Amino acid sequence: MDALTLELLNGASLFAILAIVALGLGIVFGLMGVINLAHGEFVMLGAYVAYVVHTVGLNHWLSVPLAAVVLFVLGVVIEVGLIRRIHRQPELTILATFGLSVCLRQIAELVFSKDFQSVPNPVPGATEAFGVLFPTYRYLLIAIAAVVVAATLLAFTRSRFGLVVRAIVADRDLAESAGIRTGMTNLCAFGVGAATAGIAGALVAPLGAVEPQAGLAYLPGAFLVVIVGGYNRLWGVAAGALTVAAVQTGVIHFYDAVWAQIASLALAVLVLQFRRPTPAGAVA
Amino acid sequence: MRLEATDLRSGYGTVPVLHGVSLTVSSGEIVALVGRNGAGKTTLVKTVLGVLRSTGGALHLDGVDITRMPPSRRVRAGLRATFQERALFGALTVSDNLRLSGFGSESHDRVLDAFGPALSGRGSQRTGTLSGGEQKMLAAAIALATDASLLVMDEPTEGLQPSNVALLGDHIESARDAGRGVLLIEQHLELAKRLADRFIVLEKGEVVDSGPAADPDLAARVARRLLI
Repeated sequence: MDALTLELLNGASLFAILAIVALGLGIVFGLMGVINLAHGEFVMLGAYVAYVVHTVGLNHWLSVPLAAVVLFVLGVVIEVGLIRRIHRQPELTILATFGLSVCLRQIAELVFSKDFQSVPNPVPGATEAFGVLFPTYRYLLIAIAAVVVAATLLAFTRSRFGLVVRAIVADRDLAESAGIRTGMTNLCAFGVGAATAGIAGALVAPLGAVEPQAGLAYLPGAFLVVIVGGYNRLWGVAAGALTVAAVQTGVIHFYDAVWAQIASLALAVLVLQFRRPTPAGAVA
Repeated sequence: MRLEATDLRSGYGTVPVLHGVSLTVSSGEIVALVGRNGAGKTTLVKTVLGVLRSTGGALHLDGVDITRMPPSRRVRAGLRATFQERALFGALTVSDNLRLSGFGSESHDRVLDAFGPALSGRGSQRTGTLSGGEQKMLAAAIALATDASLLVMDEPTEGLQPSNVALLGDHIESARDAGRGVLLIEQHLELAKRLADRFIVLEKGEVVDSGPAADPDLAARVARRLLI
Protein backbone atom coordinates (compact mmCIF):
# COMPACT_ATOMS: atom_id res chain seq x y z
CA MET A 1 0.00 0.00 0.00
CA ASP A 2 2.82 2.39 0.93
CA ALA A 3 4.61 1.57 -2.33
CA LEU A 4 1.47 2.39 -4.30
CA THR A 5 1.00 5.69 -2.45
CA LEU A 6 4.61 6.58 -3.16
CA GLU A 7 4.13 5.77 -6.85
CA LEU A 8 1.02 7.94 -6.93
CA LEU A 9 2.91 10.82 -5.36
CA ASN A 10 5.76 10.33 -7.83
CA GLY A 11 3.16 10.34 -10.60
CA ALA A 12 1.67 13.58 -9.26
CA SER A 13 5.13 15.14 -9.15
CA LEU A 14 5.84 14.04 -12.73
CA PHE A 15 2.43 15.38 -13.78
CA ALA A 16 3.26 18.75 -12.21
CA ILE A 17 6.60 19.01 -14.02
CA LEU A 18 5.19 17.86 -17.36
CA ALA A 19 2.18 20.17 -17.14
CA ILE A 20 4.12 23.28 -16.27
CA VAL A 21 6.84 22.61 -18.84
CA ALA A 22 4.32 21.82 -21.60
CA LEU A 23 2.00 24.71 -20.79
CA GLY A 24 4.03 27.32 -22.65
CA LEU A 25 4.56 25.00 -25.58
CA GLY A 26 0.79 24.43 -25.76
CA ILE A 27 0.06 28.17 -25.67
CA VAL A 28 2.54 29.03 -28.42
CA PHE A 29 1.64 26.09 -30.65
CA GLY A 30 -2.07 26.32 -29.96
CA LEU A 31 -2.43 30.04 -30.55
CA MET A 32 0.23 30.84 -33.08
CA GLY A 33 0.80 27.47 -34.72
CA VAL A 34 4.49 27.89 -33.91
CA ILE A 35 6.39 24.70 -33.10
CA ASN A 36 8.94 26.18 -30.73
CA LEU A 37 11.96 23.89 -30.63
CA ALA A 38 13.69 26.38 -28.30
CA HIS A 39 11.11 25.80 -25.57
CA GLY A 40 13.45 23.48 -23.68
CA GLU A 41 16.10 26.21 -23.72
CA PHE A 42 13.61 28.61 -22.15
CA VAL A 43 13.25 26.06 -19.33
CA MET A 44 17.06 25.83 -19.13
CA LEU A 45 17.36 29.63 -18.89
CA GLY A 46 14.74 29.67 -16.13
CA ALA A 47 16.90 27.18 -14.24
CA TYR A 48 19.92 29.46 -14.74
CA VAL A 49 17.92 32.36 -13.27
CA ALA A 50 17.47 30.20 -10.17
CA TYR A 51 21.20 29.44 -10.20
CA VAL A 52 22.11 33.14 -10.42
CA VAL A 53 19.66 33.98 -7.64
CA HIS A 54 21.30 31.29 -5.50
CA THR A 55 24.82 32.50 -6.42
CA VAL A 56 24.12 36.08 -5.34
CA GLY A 57 22.66 34.77 -2.08
CA LEU A 58 19.01 35.61 -2.58
CA ASN A 59 16.06 33.46 -1.58
CA HIS A 60 15.29 30.69 -4.10
CA TRP A 61 11.59 31.57 -4.23
CA LEU A 62 12.51 34.96 -5.66
CA SER A 63 13.81 33.15 -8.72
CA VAL A 64 10.31 31.95 -9.71
CA PRO A 65 8.78 35.38 -10.47
CA LEU A 66 12.16 36.66 -11.63
CA ALA A 67 12.48 33.81 -14.15
CA ALA A 68 8.96 34.60 -15.36
CA VAL A 69 9.85 38.25 -15.94
CA VAL A 70 13.24 37.55 -17.56
CA LEU A 71 11.80 34.91 -19.89
CA PHE A 72 8.75 37.04 -20.69
CA VAL A 73 11.04 39.86 -21.83
CA LEU A 74 13.22 37.41 -23.78
CA GLY A 75 10.11 35.89 -25.34
CA VAL A 76 8.87 39.32 -26.41
CA VAL A 77 12.26 40.16 -27.95
CA ILE A 78 12.33 36.84 -29.83
CA GLU A 79 8.76 37.28 -31.03
CA VAL A 80 9.48 40.77 -32.38
CA GLY A 81 12.89 39.95 -33.79
CA LEU A 82 12.23 36.52 -35.25
CA ILE A 83 8.84 34.81 -34.88
CA ARG A 84 6.70 37.72 -36.09
CA ARG A 85 8.29 37.62 -39.51
CA ILE A 86 7.78 33.91 -40.09
CA HIS A 87 4.98 32.64 -37.86
CA ARG A 88 2.66 31.86 -40.77
CA GLN A 89 5.27 29.55 -42.30
CA PRO A 90 5.50 26.44 -40.07
CA GLU A 91 8.57 24.97 -41.77
CA LEU A 92 10.49 28.22 -41.25
CA THR A 93 9.50 28.46 -37.59
CA ILE A 94 10.79 24.93 -36.99
CA LEU A 95 14.14 25.76 -38.58
CA ALA A 96 14.38 29.16 -36.91
CA THR A 97 13.52 27.93 -33.42
CA PHE A 98 15.93 25.00 -33.86
CA GLY A 99 18.66 27.52 -34.70
CA LEU A 100 17.55 29.63 -31.77
CA SER A 101 17.82 26.65 -29.42
CA VAL A 102 21.42 26.04 -30.55
CA CYS A 103 22.24 29.74 -30.07
CA LEU A 104 20.73 29.85 -26.58
CA ARG A 105 22.67 26.73 -25.54
CA GLN A 106 25.91 28.24 -26.85
CA ILE A 107 25.23 31.54 -25.10
CA ALA A 108 24.55 29.68 -21.85
CA GLU A 109 27.80 27.80 -22.34
CA LEU A 110 29.74 31.02 -22.95
CA VAL A 111 28.26 32.73 -19.91
CA PHE A 112 28.08 29.84 -17.42
CA SER A 113 30.48 27.25 -18.96
CA LYS A 114 29.64 23.63 -19.74
CA ASP A 115 29.94 22.64 -16.10
CA PHE A 116 27.03 21.19 -14.22
CA GLN A 117 25.78 23.65 -11.61
CA SER A 118 23.43 22.95 -8.78
CA VAL A 119 20.78 24.86 -6.95
CA PRO A 120 20.24 23.68 -3.39
CA ASN A 121 16.82 22.46 -2.39
CA PRO A 122 15.16 25.41 -0.61
CA VAL A 123 12.97 23.07 1.43
CA PRO A 124 15.08 20.04 2.26
CA GLY A 125 13.66 17.08 4.08
CA ALA A 126 10.54 15.03 3.74
CA THR A 127 7.00 15.27 4.95
CA GLU A 128 5.09 12.28 6.22
CA ALA A 129 1.62 12.10 4.77
CA PHE A 130 -0.68 9.31 3.57
CA GLY A 131 1.56 6.94 5.52
CA VAL A 132 4.72 7.66 3.49
CA LEU A 133 7.65 10.04 3.56
CA PHE A 134 7.83 12.23 0.45
CA PRO A 135 10.15 15.17 -0.30
CA THR A 136 8.54 18.39 0.93
CA TYR A 137 9.84 20.35 -2.06
CA ARG A 138 8.00 18.00 -4.42
CA TYR A 139 4.76 18.62 -2.51
CA LEU A 140 5.34 22.33 -3.00
CA LEU A 141 6.18 21.77 -6.66
CA ILE A 142 2.88 19.99 -7.19
CA ALA A 143 0.97 22.79 -5.46
CA ILE A 144 2.73 25.61 -7.34
CA ALA A 145 2.38 23.85 -10.69
CA ALA A 146 -1.33 23.31 -10.02
CA VAL A 147 -1.79 27.01 -9.22
CA VAL A 148 0.19 28.20 -12.27
CA VAL A 149 -1.62 25.82 -14.64
CA ALA A 150 -5.05 26.65 -13.19
CA ALA A 151 -4.37 30.41 -13.28
CA THR A 152 -3.19 30.20 -16.89
CA LEU A 153 -6.20 28.13 -17.90
CA LEU A 154 -8.54 30.62 -16.19
CA ALA A 155 -6.79 33.54 -17.86
CA PHE A 156 -7.24 31.92 -21.25
CA THR A 157 -10.83 30.84 -20.77
CA ARG A 158 -12.51 33.42 -18.53
CA SER A 159 -10.88 36.74 -19.36
CA ARG A 160 -11.30 39.09 -22.29
CA PHE A 161 -7.77 38.12 -23.32
CA GLY A 162 -8.96 34.52 -23.50
CA LEU A 163 -11.94 35.55 -25.63
CA VAL A 164 -9.64 37.45 -27.97
CA VAL A 165 -7.37 34.41 -28.21
CA ARG A 166 -10.32 32.17 -29.09
CA ALA A 167 -11.41 34.64 -31.74
CA ILE A 168 -7.95 34.77 -33.30
CA VAL A 169 -7.71 31.01 -33.29
CA ALA A 170 -11.12 30.73 -34.96
CA ASP A 171 -10.39 33.28 -37.69
CA ARG A 172 -7.36 35.55 -37.59
CA ASP A 173 -8.51 37.78 -40.48
CA LEU A 174 -11.98 38.22 -39.03
CA ALA A 175 -10.44 39.07 -35.66
CA GLU A 176 -8.30 41.75 -37.30
CA SER A 177 -11.41 43.04 -39.05
CA ALA A 178 -13.11 43.37 -35.67
CA GLY A 179 -10.27 45.65 -34.61
CA ILE A 180 -8.37 43.06 -32.59
CA ARG A 181 -4.62 43.58 -32.70
CA THR A 182 -3.58 40.02 -33.43
CA GLY A 183 0.10 40.96 -33.52
CA MET A 184 -0.08 42.25 -29.94
CA THR A 185 -1.90 39.09 -28.84
CA ASN A 186 0.80 36.94 -30.47
CA LEU A 187 3.41 38.98 -28.64
CA CYS A 188 1.67 38.43 -25.30
CA ALA A 189 1.12 34.72 -26.02
CA PHE A 190 4.76 34.11 -26.90
CA GLY A 191 5.87 36.11 -23.87
CA VAL A 192 3.52 34.20 -21.55
CA GLY A 193 4.62 30.88 -23.10
CA ALA A 194 8.26 31.75 -22.44
CA ALA A 195 7.44 33.01 -18.94
CA THR A 196 5.74 29.74 -17.95
CA ALA A 197 8.81 27.87 -19.26
CA GLY A 198 10.97 30.15 -17.11
CA ILE A 199 8.83 29.37 -14.04
CA ALA A 200 9.15 25.66 -14.83
CA GLY A 201 12.93 26.00 -15.10
CA ALA A 202 13.24 27.82 -11.78
CA LEU A 203 11.04 25.22 -10.08
CA VAL A 204 12.85 22.16 -11.43
CA ALA A 205 16.35 23.64 -10.91
CA PRO A 206 16.79 22.16 -7.39
CA LEU A 207 15.80 18.70 -8.70
CA GLY A 208 18.70 18.22 -11.10
CA ALA A 209 21.80 19.66 -12.68
CA VAL A 210 21.68 23.11 -14.21
CA GLU A 211 23.65 23.01 -17.45
CA PRO A 212 23.37 24.31 -21.04
CA GLN A 213 21.98 21.02 -22.41
CA ALA A 214 19.36 20.66 -19.65
CA GLY A 215 16.53 21.92 -21.84
CA LEU A 216 16.91 19.01 -24.26
CA ALA A 217 15.64 16.65 -21.59
CA TYR A 218 12.35 18.52 -21.23
CA LEU A 219 11.41 19.12 -24.86
CA PRO A 220 10.39 15.55 -25.89
CA GLY A 221 8.19 15.13 -22.80
CA ALA A 222 6.53 18.48 -23.40
CA PHE A 223 5.79 17.58 -27.02
CA LEU A 224 4.36 14.22 -25.97
CA VAL A 225 2.02 16.03 -23.58
CA VAL A 226 0.87 18.46 -26.26
CA ILE A 227 0.35 15.65 -28.78
CA VAL A 228 -1.55 13.42 -26.34
CA GLY A 229 -3.63 16.23 -24.81
CA GLY A 230 -4.29 18.00 -28.08
CA TYR A 231 -3.35 21.48 -29.10
CA ASN A 232 -6.84 22.72 -29.90
CA ARG A 233 -7.78 23.06 -26.23
CA LEU A 234 -5.43 24.51 -23.65
CA TRP A 235 -6.87 22.28 -20.93
CA GLY A 236 -5.66 19.45 -23.16
CA VAL A 237 -2.17 20.24 -21.85
CA ALA A 238 -3.31 19.37 -18.32
CA ALA A 239 -5.14 16.28 -19.59
CA GLY A 240 -2.10 15.26 -21.68
CA ALA A 241 0.26 15.73 -18.74
CA LEU A 242 -2.03 13.63 -16.55
CA THR A 243 -2.24 10.85 -19.15
CA VAL A 244 1.49 10.78 -19.89
CA ALA A 245 2.35 10.90 -16.17
CA ALA A 246 -0.11 8.08 -15.43
CA VAL A 247 1.28 5.91 -18.25
CA GLN A 248 4.90 6.56 -17.31
CA THR A 249 4.34 6.00 -13.59
CA GLY A 250 2.36 2.83 -14.24
CA VAL A 251 4.93 1.37 -16.63
CA ILE A 252 7.82 2.32 -14.34
CA HIS A 253 6.00 0.56 -11.50
CA PHE A 254 5.65 -2.68 -13.46
CA TYR A 255 8.71 -2.51 -15.78
CA ASP A 256 11.28 0.27 -15.98
CA ALA A 257 11.92 3.85 -17.18
CA VAL A 258 12.94 2.80 -20.70
CA TRP A 259 9.65 0.97 -21.27
CA ALA A 260 7.86 3.98 -19.78
CA GLN A 261 9.36 6.23 -22.47
CA ILE A 262 8.48 3.71 -25.18
CA ALA A 263 4.92 3.46 -23.85
CA SER A 264 4.52 7.29 -23.88
CA LEU A 265 5.76 7.45 -27.43
CA ALA A 266 3.43 4.63 -28.49
CA LEU A 267 0.55 6.46 -26.81
CA ALA A 268 1.37 9.63 -28.76
CA VAL A 269 1.50 7.70 -32.05
CA LEU A 270 -1.81 6.02 -31.21
CA VAL A 271 -3.46 9.34 -30.39
CA LEU A 272 -2.24 10.85 -33.66
CA GLN A 273 -3.72 7.92 -35.57
CA PHE A 274 -7.18 8.47 -34.15
CA ARG A 275 -7.26 12.25 -33.94
CA ARG A 276 -9.22 14.18 -36.51
CA PRO A 277 -6.97 16.54 -38.46
CA THR A 278 -6.95 19.96 -36.81
CA PRO A 279 -5.18 22.99 -38.19
CA ALA A 280 -2.25 24.15 -36.10
CA GLY A 281 -2.98 27.35 -34.28
CA ALA A 282 -5.95 26.46 -32.18
CA VAL A 283 -6.16 27.10 -28.48
CA ALA A 284 -9.26 27.71 -26.43
CA MET B 1 -14.22 61.21 -43.47
CA ARG B 2 -13.22 60.25 -46.98
CA LEU B 3 -12.01 56.92 -48.32
CA GLU B 4 -10.03 57.20 -51.50
CA ALA B 5 -8.76 54.27 -53.56
CA THR B 6 -6.35 55.16 -56.32
CA ASP B 7 -5.45 52.66 -59.02
CA LEU B 8 -5.94 49.88 -56.47
CA ARG B 9 -4.72 46.45 -57.53
CA SER B 10 -4.89 43.11 -55.77
CA GLY B 11 -5.54 39.44 -56.29
CA TYR B 12 -4.93 35.97 -54.97
CA GLY B 13 -1.43 34.59 -55.34
CA THR B 14 -0.37 35.22 -58.89
CA VAL B 15 -3.93 35.73 -60.11
CA PRO B 16 -4.77 39.45 -60.36
CA VAL B 17 -8.40 40.36 -59.69
CA LEU B 18 -8.49 44.15 -59.33
CA HIS B 19 -6.79 45.94 -62.21
CA GLY B 20 -6.53 49.49 -60.93
CA VAL B 21 -9.75 50.54 -59.20
CA SER B 22 -10.19 54.17 -58.26
CA LEU B 23 -13.13 55.35 -56.18
CA THR B 24 -14.05 57.65 -53.32
CA VAL B 25 -16.60 57.40 -50.53
CA SER B 26 -17.24 60.45 -48.38
CA SER B 27 -19.13 61.10 -45.17
CA GLY B 28 -22.86 61.39 -45.59
CA GLU B 29 -23.14 59.41 -48.79
CA ILE B 30 -24.00 55.90 -49.83
CA VAL B 31 -22.03 54.59 -52.77
CA ALA B 32 -23.45 51.41 -54.28
CA LEU B 33 -20.86 49.17 -55.85
CA VAL B 34 -22.55 46.79 -58.24
CA GLY B 35 -21.31 44.17 -60.60
CA ARG B 36 -21.90 40.62 -61.66
CA ASN B 37 -20.48 37.61 -59.84
CA GLY B 38 -16.71 37.50 -60.22
CA ALA B 39 -16.44 41.24 -60.92
CA GLY B 40 -14.10 41.65 -57.94
CA LYS B 41 -16.49 43.27 -55.43
CA THR B 42 -15.58 41.05 -52.49
CA THR B 43 -11.90 41.28 -53.40
CA LEU B 44 -12.25 45.05 -53.25
CA VAL B 45 -13.86 44.87 -49.80
CA LYS B 46 -11.07 42.62 -48.53
CA THR B 47 -8.42 44.90 -50.00
CA VAL B 48 -10.00 48.04 -48.58
CA LEU B 49 -10.09 46.50 -45.12
CA GLY B 50 -6.57 45.11 -45.48
CA VAL B 51 -7.40 41.43 -45.12
CA LEU B 52 -6.02 41.08 -48.64
CA ARG B 53 -2.82 42.94 -49.44
CA SER B 54 -2.93 45.30 -52.35
CA THR B 55 -0.36 44.68 -55.05
CA GLY B 56 -0.45 48.23 -56.34
CA GLY B 57 -2.11 51.59 -56.01
CA ALA B 58 -2.97 53.41 -52.80
CA LEU B 59 -5.68 53.74 -50.20
CA HIS B 60 -6.17 56.89 -48.19
CA LEU B 61 -8.51 57.51 -45.29
CA ASP B 62 -8.93 61.21 -44.66
CA GLY B 63 -5.65 61.83 -46.45
CA VAL B 64 -3.76 59.29 -44.35
CA ASP B 65 -2.11 56.53 -46.36
CA ILE B 66 -3.55 53.26 -45.00
CA THR B 67 -2.31 51.05 -47.85
CA ARG B 68 0.10 49.10 -45.62
CA MET B 69 -1.83 49.34 -42.36
CA PRO B 70 -3.04 46.08 -40.78
CA PRO B 71 -6.85 45.70 -40.68
CA SER B 72 -7.08 46.34 -36.93
CA ARG B 73 -5.47 49.78 -37.36
CA ARG B 74 -7.83 50.60 -40.22
CA VAL B 75 -10.74 49.67 -37.95
CA ARG B 76 -9.42 51.93 -35.21
CA ALA B 77 -9.02 54.68 -37.80
CA GLY B 78 -12.77 54.54 -38.42
CA LEU B 79 -13.29 51.91 -41.10
CA ARG B 80 -15.58 48.95 -40.56
CA ALA B 81 -16.63 46.15 -42.90
CA THR B 82 -19.14 43.35 -42.92
CA PHE B 83 -18.14 40.43 -45.06
CA GLN B 84 -20.37 38.44 -47.36
CA GLU B 85 -19.23 35.22 -45.70
CA ARG B 86 -17.57 34.44 -42.37
CA ALA B 87 -18.85 37.67 -40.91
CA LEU B 88 -18.99 36.41 -37.30
CA PHE B 89 -17.30 33.94 -34.98
CA GLY B 90 -19.69 31.02 -35.24
CA ALA B 91 -18.20 29.04 -32.34
CA LEU B 92 -18.62 31.95 -29.91
CA THR B 93 -21.86 33.22 -28.41
CA VAL B 94 -23.69 36.25 -29.74
CA SER B 95 -22.63 38.19 -26.63
CA ASP B 96 -18.99 37.21 -27.17
CA ASN B 97 -19.19 38.53 -30.73
CA LEU B 98 -20.55 41.79 -29.36
CA ARG B 99 -17.80 41.96 -26.72
CA LEU B 100 -15.14 41.42 -29.37
CA SER B 101 -16.47 44.41 -31.26
CA GLY B 102 -16.12 46.52 -28.13
CA PHE B 103 -19.67 46.53 -26.81
CA GLY B 104 -20.09 46.39 -23.03
CA SER B 105 -22.82 44.12 -21.70
CA GLU B 106 -25.03 47.16 -21.00
CA SER B 107 -25.32 47.86 -24.73
CA HIS B 108 -25.94 44.31 -25.95
CA ASP B 109 -29.74 44.57 -25.81
CA ARG B 110 -29.65 47.85 -27.75
CA VAL B 111 -27.67 46.24 -30.58
CA LEU B 112 -29.74 43.06 -30.63
CA ASP B 113 -33.04 44.92 -30.59
CA ALA B 114 -32.10 46.98 -33.67
CA PHE B 115 -33.80 44.49 -35.98
CA GLY B 116 -36.91 43.89 -33.91
CA PRO B 117 -37.52 40.72 -31.97
CA ALA B 118 -35.48 38.40 -34.25
CA LEU B 119 -32.27 38.71 -32.25
CA SER B 120 -33.65 39.91 -28.91
CA GLY B 121 -32.59 37.83 -25.95
CA ARG B 122 -30.31 35.62 -28.06
CA GLY B 123 -27.09 36.80 -26.39
CA SER B 124 -26.19 33.45 -24.88
CA GLN B 125 -26.84 31.49 -28.09
CA ARG B 126 -23.90 30.14 -30.06
CA THR B 127 -23.69 32.35 -33.15
CA GLY B 128 -23.22 29.43 -35.52
CA THR B 129 -26.65 28.11 -34.55
CA LEU B 130 -28.41 31.27 -35.78
CA SER B 131 -29.92 31.03 -39.26
CA GLY B 132 -27.97 32.52 -42.17
CA GLY B 133 -30.31 35.52 -42.29
CA GLU B 134 -30.03 36.09 -38.54
CA GLN B 135 -26.26 36.01 -38.77
CA LYS B 136 -26.39 38.58 -41.57
CA MET B 137 -28.63 40.79 -39.43
CA LEU B 138 -26.33 40.44 -36.44
CA ALA B 139 -23.24 41.31 -38.48
CA ALA B 140 -24.99 44.35 -39.91
CA ALA B 141 -26.35 45.38 -36.50
CA ILE B 142 -22.86 45.19 -35.00
CA ALA B 143 -21.26 47.21 -37.82
CA LEU B 144 -24.01 49.85 -37.71
CA ALA B 145 -23.83 50.13 -33.92
CA THR B 146 -20.08 50.79 -33.88
CA ASP B 147 -18.81 54.33 -34.07
CA ALA B 148 -17.07 53.68 -37.40
CA SER B 149 -17.23 56.68 -39.72
CA LEU B 150 -17.04 54.62 -42.86
CA LEU B 151 -18.87 51.35 -43.41
CA VAL B 152 -18.14 48.84 -46.13
CA MET B 153 -20.99 46.34 -46.38
CA ASP B 154 -20.64 43.32 -48.63
CA GLU B 155 -24.02 41.91 -49.66
CA PRO B 156 -25.67 42.64 -46.29
CA THR B 157 -29.15 41.70 -47.50
CA GLU B 158 -28.25 38.29 -48.89
CA GLY B 159 -30.52 35.70 -47.29
CA LEU B 160 -32.71 38.24 -45.48
CA GLN B 161 -36.49 38.09 -45.65
CA PRO B 162 -38.04 41.09 -47.49
CA SER B 163 -39.25 42.87 -44.34
CA ASN B 164 -35.74 42.75 -42.88
CA VAL B 165 -34.23 43.94 -46.18
CA ALA B 166 -36.38 47.06 -45.89
CA LEU B 167 -35.47 47.46 -42.21
CA LEU B 168 -31.76 47.13 -42.94
CA GLY B 169 -32.17 49.71 -45.71
CA ASP B 170 -33.68 52.11 -43.17
CA HIS B 171 -30.74 51.57 -40.82
CA ILE B 172 -28.22 52.20 -43.62
CA GLU B 173 -30.05 55.39 -44.56
CA SER B 174 -30.00 56.48 -40.93
CA ALA B 175 -26.25 55.89 -40.86
CA ARG B 176 -25.84 58.09 -43.95
CA ASP B 177 -28.10 60.77 -42.42
CA ALA B 178 -25.94 60.69 -39.30
CA GLY B 179 -22.97 61.69 -41.48
CA ARG B 180 -21.38 58.31 -42.04
CA GLY B 181 -20.11 57.11 -45.39
CA VAL B 182 -21.26 53.73 -46.72
CA LEU B 183 -19.78 51.65 -49.52
CA LEU B 184 -22.59 49.22 -50.21
CA ILE B 185 -21.98 46.12 -52.29
CA GLU B 186 -25.45 45.02 -53.28
CA GLN B 187 -26.99 42.62 -55.78
CA HIS B 188 -30.47 43.69 -54.73
CA LEU B 189 -30.76 46.41 -57.37
CA GLU B 190 -34.02 47.90 -56.12
CA LEU B 191 -32.55 48.46 -52.67
CA ALA B 192 -29.36 49.87 -54.16
CA LYS B 193 -31.41 52.32 -56.24
CA ARG B 194 -33.44 53.34 -53.20
CA LEU B 195 -30.39 53.97 -50.99
CA ALA B 196 -27.50 55.02 -53.20
CA ASP B 197 -26.34 58.53 -53.87
CA ARG B 198 -23.85 57.25 -56.43
CA PHE B 199 -23.33 54.06 -58.41
CA ILE B 200 -20.03 52.46 -59.31
CA VAL B 201 -20.11 49.52 -61.69
CA LEU B 202 -17.30 47.01 -61.45
CA GLU B 203 -16.58 44.54 -64.23
CA LYS B 204 -13.62 42.16 -64.41
CA GLY B 205 -11.77 44.09 -61.75
CA GLU B 206 -12.21 47.51 -63.34
CA VAL B 207 -14.61 50.39 -62.87
CA VAL B 208 -16.57 50.52 -66.12
CA ASP B 209 -19.25 53.03 -65.21
CA SER B 210 -20.14 55.44 -62.42
CA GLY B 211 -22.25 58.47 -61.66
CA PRO B 212 -25.07 59.87 -59.57
CA ALA B 213 -27.85 57.44 -58.78
CA ALA B 214 -30.41 60.06 -59.79
CA ASP B 215 -29.19 59.84 -63.40
CA PRO B 216 -31.89 57.74 -65.15
CA ASP B 217 -29.51 56.80 -67.99
CA LEU B 218 -26.98 55.42 -65.52
CA ALA B 219 -29.69 53.45 -63.70
CA ALA B 220 -30.74 51.92 -66.98
CA ARG B 221 -27.13 51.09 -67.92
CA VAL B 222 -26.55 49.51 -64.50
CA ALA B 223 -29.68 47.39 -64.86
CA ARG B 224 -28.64 46.35 -68.34
CA ARG B 225 -25.10 45.41 -67.27
CA LEU B 226 -26.40 43.30 -64.41
CA LEU B 227 -28.93 41.53 -66.58
CA ILE B 228 -26.60 40.71 -69.46
